[in-house]
Amino acid sequence: MVDFGIPIGAGIAFGLGALGTGIAQSRIGAAGAGTIAEKPEMFGLMIILVAIPETLVILGFVVASMIMIMLV
Amino acid sequence: MEYAYVNARIKAMKSRLLDRSFLEQLINKPDIDSLIAELEKTTYREELDKAGVLYSGIHRIEVAIRKDLVKTFRTVLNLIRGGETESYLTLILNRWDVQNIKTILRGKKIQENPSEILDCLIPAGELDEAALTELVKQPDVKAVIDLLATWGIIYSRPLTLNFREFSETGDLLVLEYALDTFYYQDALSRLKSGESDDARILKNILVTEIDINNIKTVLRSIRDRIDIEEAKRYFVKGSPDFDMERLTSIMKAGTIDGALKHLEHTPYQFITTIPQEYIVAEKISAFEKELERYLVKKAVSLFIGDPLSIAIPIAYIWAKYTEVTNIRVIARCKIIEVPEKELREALISV
Repeated sequence: MVDFGIPIGAGIAFGLGALGTGIAQSRIGAAGAGTIAEKPEMFGLMIILVAIPETLVILGFVVASMIMIMLV
Repeated sequence: MEYAYVNARIKAMKSRLLDRSFLEQLINKPDIDSLIAELEKTTYREELDKAGVLYSGIHRIEVAIRKDLVKTFRTVLNLIRGGETESYLTLILNRWDVQNIKTILRGKKIQENPSEILDCLIPAGELDEAALTELVKQPDVKAVIDLLATWGIIYSRPLTLNFREFSETGDLLVLEYALDTFYYQDALSRLKSGESDDARILKNILVTEIDINNIKTVLRSIRDRIDIEEAKRYFVKGSPDFDMERLTSIMKAGTIDGALKHLEHTPYQFITTIPQEYIVAEKISAFEKELERYLVKKAVSLFIGDPLSIAIPIAYIWAKYTEVTNIRVIARCKIIEVPEKELREALISV
């Protein structure tokens, strides 16, 4: 019998990480757009700040990969 | 309301406000021309250039900073267009409508030159420059009120209701008080329906303004030995802490010193620390200045409040207004060669 628990666990690890990243980036992105509208010289810094929540989804991806490797 | 975008933008605008060290540089300038040259290095450059076509000297500064203030307020309002937040911010900007109407009424009462009156106005509220120019052209107080009523401006209501008393006594305070009371009552009633954090923040500032106005009225009434019943007419209702009963009990103290004792253990106890010589000489202006500073500081300190609320736009509006007031004070002091110590005392430091 196939154990669906492991792929579902991997899916949750990746999906919730992506959701968290999305929520964080939407807020930071909006604030970043506001800042750049007034101070275009802040563009580089804003790109970095918007990218920081990406770590969440990367972490989720790593955890999901480790779970999937357990399958093999 | 998407506060993340708006408030980040406003905070970026805040970073362009003049800091203390720049104000020091302005104070140290020897004359108006060097003051203008220094201001041209800031965001005021555009308006100074435009004003430079028609005006020179202090008039150039006055016109430029006024236009810049109005433009800034319009920018903030445009960012917040739509919904409850816009109506809340309009409530704050309406205080300039009230201030402008009062200035026009005062000007008309003493039959001041229309252009002189216009110079003193700040068209930051709903009454724009064209409307104010038209009001200033009116021949007398009655005509100003009639024109406001014709346009359907809500502030014509208290003025019309109290005009008879004004025409009998000639006391403009009657109309000014009616206007203030109407503004605060209207603003508080509009906020009553909203239970949001934004409404709470705005109400807090409005109540502080009401308290400060009432404390000023109490101190002035004590100094001028005005009867308690007469003074009570000029108290603005709406503050939960300083209601009619409490204000009356402060009035009953009969002396400035006694009134100050009543203010101990309240948020306004800082005025009890004002030097004794001001109390003995009954110099109310010193108390008024401290109270106004407290209001400005309280409003500007909202910058460190909730970053995703109306606190940031309100704080910015007050910070900008303070900056413009300080530049105006410095410019005027340069013209009449006020000593530096007195100039510094006149500035509002935040």
